[in-house]
Amino acid sequence: MSARRAELSRRGFLTGSLLVAAGTVLTTACSTDPTGGSSSGAKTTLNVWYHAYGETGTQQAVLRYATAFTKANPDIAVKVTWVPGDYSAKVNATLLTDAAPDVFEIGDFSEAMVRRGQIAALDDVYGSARSDFNANAISSVTVDGKLYGVKMIDDVIMLYYRKSVLAKAGITPPTTFDGLAAAAKALTTSKNKGLFVGNDGIGDSASNAVWSNGGDLVTPEGKVAFGSPRALEAVTALKRLHDDKSLLLGFTTDWWDPAAFTQGVVPMQWCGLWAMPAVQDALGDDFGVIPWPAFKAGGTPVVRVGGWTECVNAKSRNLAAAKKFAQWLWVEQSSLQRDFAESYGFHVPPRKSVAATAEKLSTGTAKETVVLAEKYGKHNPGTWDTAISSAFNAAAAKITGGEGDPAALLADAAKKAQSEIDKQLGR
Amino acid sequence: MNASATSTTTKPESTGRPAATPRGAARTARSGRPRAGRSGWTAFVLLTAPVLIGLGIFKYVAIGWSFLLSLSDARGTIALGHWVGLDNYRTLLSDQAFRDSLVQILLFTAFIVPVTFAVSLGLALLVHRIRRGRALFRTTFLIPAAVSYVAASLLWKMSLFNGLPAGIANTIGGWFGAEPVAWLQSTSPPLYWIVLVTLRLWLQVGFYMVLFLAGLQAIPKELYEAAALDGATGRRLLTGVTLPMLRNTSVAVLMLLFIAAFQAFDEFYNLFNSGQSGTGTAPVQTPLVHLYNTAMGSQNYGIGSAGAFVLTALIVGVTLIQGRFTGFGRSGE
Repeated sequence: MSARRAELSRRGFLTGSLLVAAGTVLTTACSTDPTGGSSSGAKTTLNVWYHAYGETGTQQAVLRYATAFTKANPDIAVKVTWVPGDYSAKVNATLLTDAAPDVFEIGDFSEAMVRRGQIAALDDVYGSARSDFNANAISSVTVDGKLYGVKMIDDVIMLYYRKSVLAKAGITPPTTFDGLAAAAKALTTSKNKGLFVGNDGIGDSASNAVWSNGGDLVTPEGKVAFGSPRALEAVTALKRLHDDKSLLLGFTTDWWDPAAFTQGVVPMQWCGLWAMPAVQDALGDDFGVIPWPAFKAGGTPVVRVGGWTECVNAKSRNLAAAKKFAQWLWVEQSSLQRDFAESYGFHVPPRKSVAATAEKLSTGTAKETVVLAEKYGKHNPGTWDTAISSAFNAAAAKITGGEGDPAALLADAAKKAQSEIDKQLGR
Repeated sequence: MNASATSTTTKPESTGRPAATPRGAARTARSGRPRAGRSGWTAFVLLTAPVLIGLGIFKYVAIGWSFLLSLSDARGTIALGHWVGLDNYRTLLSDQAFRDSLVQILLFTAFIVPVTFAVSLGLALLVHRIRRGRALFRTTFLIPAAVSYVAASLLWKMSLFNGLPAGIANTIGGWFGAEPVAWLQSTSPPLYWIVLVTLRLWLQVGFYMVLFLAGLQAIPKELYEAAALDGATGRRLLTGVTLPMLRNTSVAVLMLLFIAAFQAFDEFYNLFNSGQSGTGTAPVQTPLVHLYNTAMGSQNYGIGSAGAFVLTALIVGVTLIQGRFTGFGRSGE
């Protein structure tokens, strides 16, 4: 190797610096302006956050809504931020700073944010429309009698199955957990697995199991209930799916993406209503939906109702404007709500009057799903935060992997979760 | 044996560290430097102030604040005031999940450090010996070091080690009649370690190889000539000249490897994370992943900070012990 090293000449350094500076200017100039509304003449600018929805057109839609809002309220501009990646971690971190969004959506509503004073009460935003929201949408955002968010969409999560594949194997859609496990095993071949619940082999299956055996995760009073014998029985039974090797693990996308199902990698997948347009495109009529089956005959089938809720930052400097935006979009603009619910991915509008007029949700499999949600819909408790769900799901993962005593693992997780909830509720 | 014994200069700062540039006239010419005057001090202050102020505000204030946070009950806030003494440390250390993560990181370190060290040293020796195409090989091995952990994790997770029969690892296994397996999710046997270890080796080996190469190039040729005159060949040259002369490089590499291993986060997070649902079900969590979930997921910044200090103490402890055994930081004598 030559010992002489090319030293950076003054000219070289200057050229380099100029190039970097020019590049910066260029990229700044070329990047798209994320501001939805025209800000000319606007006194306040609202910072509004969305997680990155996977369905094409959703981002353009929310930018359109923002522009329409500014048109109706010329003194308020709206800056939409589309957040890819770990959305809740980013929201949590930003809420500690001055850069926090004024308005932001959250997935499964968290009571803890209310207790910490991070989100504002929105009772006055609802007005007379309050009775038009479905009961689930109201109860899931109610803390101590006040409403702390406006449900934007209900996301129904259920089991998709391939009609042709099940028919060919002579299998009817399962109605009990035994039936599901048997079907998953029968449908597993050397090339394909029978069922996809998540890349980690757990996904929602552990909480589904608890509910499907008549158990509960956390009671409304904040008492952890997943340590009960019923819960233990159902979670332990999930091990069978793992022992049979009938679960698809380690696919390239996770359960919330329908790719494994639409590409024919699995004939049964736990996924959401949002994916139905993509599933229809790929498979036409060759699919059906069922709830997560009852643990035993006569038990309760489960459909999870998640979704997203618009919240207003309690410390926002533009609190009034922020409330106005939430009210305008998610309470008043029923046509935009309908557009958001059925034009991209499918979601159920939480307002009954809007849901009733959503055409695409009133026919075929989409309608069946809506009916299932009304009948069997369960939503995660408001106290169900990351610490608690991690403790529960980690125990479930160990139980299904056959590591340790199931009863002890679940009891430990319940104890840990209870202490977390006690702290959350300030007890 | 040490570097100062062979150094031709008299300045003590050149000892203890292999220099990449040849010694000689350029270095001795600097010794008659004039004393800095007042204007020199102004320049010194002007030039260093931005960095020092930046360090002060963004590092030391932040570290101090974090320490105070670790002594307070900070949920959903980073404001101080709700003091709880050592409660956070107690809670954390009694948390089975955190203790498991400490055990797992110790096992991981005990394995990855010697393996990375041996492989990168071996590669450096090989690349150093060849006469033609050395730049090509050096670059080839170094390129992975420029890949980010996140990108590499996605590559490993989605194409090399996915659970499908069509995954690359499963395809290769299939040629030898192996059943397709879910590499990241199999806990018995724990196949995910293969994914984690190969990923880290691929990313790190090239970088440490370059450090060793630099060390090798700094060994004066005369030593080998002298040893050859004394009749030393092959293995004797390696153990008698090369390895002792690489001692300082080796010690630095070891220390960097230990720190990097204890701070492992990226691949553990990205391989097991799947968007919204977090890494709760991952078969292995490093302390940093656990702390990230605690602070960023559950917004418990008190316990998160306490964990950061426990981990720092661990790293400092290991580095000190290592320094004691290997004499890092001591100059030649």
